[in-house]
Amino acid sequence: MKNGIAIFIAAIVALGASWCGLVLAPSLQLGPARLTTVLNSTDTYPLQRTGEASLGLQVYRANGCAACHTEQVRQDGIAVEVMLTSLGTSKAEDFKAFVQSLFILPELAPVTNTIADSLQAWNGDLPKIFLVTGDKAIADEMVQRVNAAGVKSQLRIAPSGPDLARGWGTRRSVAADFLYDQPVQLGSLRAGPDLANIGIRQPDANWQMLHLYAPKSVVPNSTMPSFKYLFAVRKMAGAAPSPDALALSGEFAPPAGFEVVPTAAARELAAYLLSLNANVPLYEAPFTPVTSAKP
Amino acid sequence: MIDDSKKDCCPGSDTEPTVTRSAAPMWIIVVTLVLLFFGALFFDSHGDLGGKQIYTPFTSAEQLDSFQPKSGADAALARGKTVYDSVCGICHGVDGAGKPGQAPTLVDSEWVVTKNFNRLAHIPLVGVNGPIQVKGKDWSMSMAAMGASLSDDDLAAVLTYIRGSWGNKAGAVTGDDIKKIRAEMGKTSQPYTGEQLKAMAE
Repeated sequence: MKNGIAIFIAAIVALGASWCGLVLAPSLQLGPARLTTVLNSTDTYPLQRTGEASLGLQVYRANGCAACHTEQVRQDGIAVEVMLTSLGTSKAEDFKAFVQSLFILPELAPVTNTIADSLQAWNGDLPKIFLVTGDKAIADEMVQRVNAAGVKSQLRIAPSGPDLARGWGTRRSVAADFLYDQPVQLGSLRAGPDLANIGIRQPDANWQMLHLYAPKSVVPNSTMPSFKYLFAVRKMAGAAPSPDALALSGEFAPPAGFEVVPTAAARELAAYLLSLNANVPLYEAPFTPVTSAKP
Repeated sequence: MIDDSKKDCCPGSDTEPTVTRSAAPMWIIVVTLVLLFFGALFFDSHGDLGGKQIYTPFTSAEQLDSFQPKSGADAALARGKTVYDSVCGICHGVDGAGKPGQAPTLVDSEWVVTKNFNRLAHIPLVGVNGPIQVKGKDWSMSMAAMGASLSDDDLAAVLTYIRGSWGNKAGAVTGDDIKKIRAEMGKTSQPYTGEQLKAMAE
């Protein structure tokens, strides 16, 4: 073959370039990922899963949950809100007048209209978010000005996006959330809702069990298949069902004298679902928690 | 003359096809280099390898830095409270009131509410041992150097918190202040006594 060496070298370069882009660059970027610290705190993140929840990750994988559920929350934007928490000794009207007087400042020019709009129909209810902007410098300036005038206001970092509006989380998912996942099961199809924060949204293990056994018993319109084979239907040992039997009723209940108990796999899967919790502020995904840590 | 037998057999077979080398056009090389250059610029500004991770909607490390809720007194107090509750609150109480037999109060204490904080900063950095008087009450306890392992910023935040909470109204402490005090202090390993602390500049 003529030019065999050249073709060989070209093939190596082409494969090497895609290897660099798809394997080397991500591993340089995410390979050194370690435990990180929660913003404004000394707590580390993420927490190691319990043994049961770690096993549950494999149950999640074996049952192909990631085929219909994602574990990643998207975020489109980020805004800074200035929230008024206390008027001090002044009245709402005084505050409006004071803010009006600030409008001559050239650095506030881009936001004067939005501030005026939000304060127009305001009757003094607190807390009041009177400025939402993508420019942190303007918000900082505003907080300084109004705090110097004796009222109390604070900055709130507010992520936004359709996933967050659905209540699936308070910030986007980042690499640190998956530090202990082996394998990482991001998922790409959302036949069901996102599960990145299911441990917060449905923190009840019994609810998770009922939902796995008979999804329609807790969510009437659910299209999720039933995972009945993770449970055992067995004869009751006595007159009363055992403590870990599911509290099923109506069409979902087992025949009289029988009870539905979770197998180890069901318990592990539920523990894994409860461990899904990506809801703390991090450096790479900052936000202001709703419950203020202020004394 | 033309060789008839060869002509009949395979027309054109007297010329072997060959591949010639020719240089790629200059404009392709230039366009590739320009694209690479701007690609590298984009890559550089949208997150650096192995360091900070920049995710959508953030576009650069500077922008991400600007959105960190670390500016302002509220952030320092919030951070201070978190550190205090996990490090100091166990003995001094999360309300700062102290616990009998464990630790004296911090509320309105003459050791905490002071104009400067040099003396106060030394207490968590080195520890205290032996008799000490707080708000007219005699204590004889020992406190380990609880703050020695905290970062400058964390220690500053916790001092800001105890000086500005529960009705205390003393000024804030910054990480740079703690850094300075740490540098001046050198390698003191013995906990202070109450007398030593009293002799220290406020």
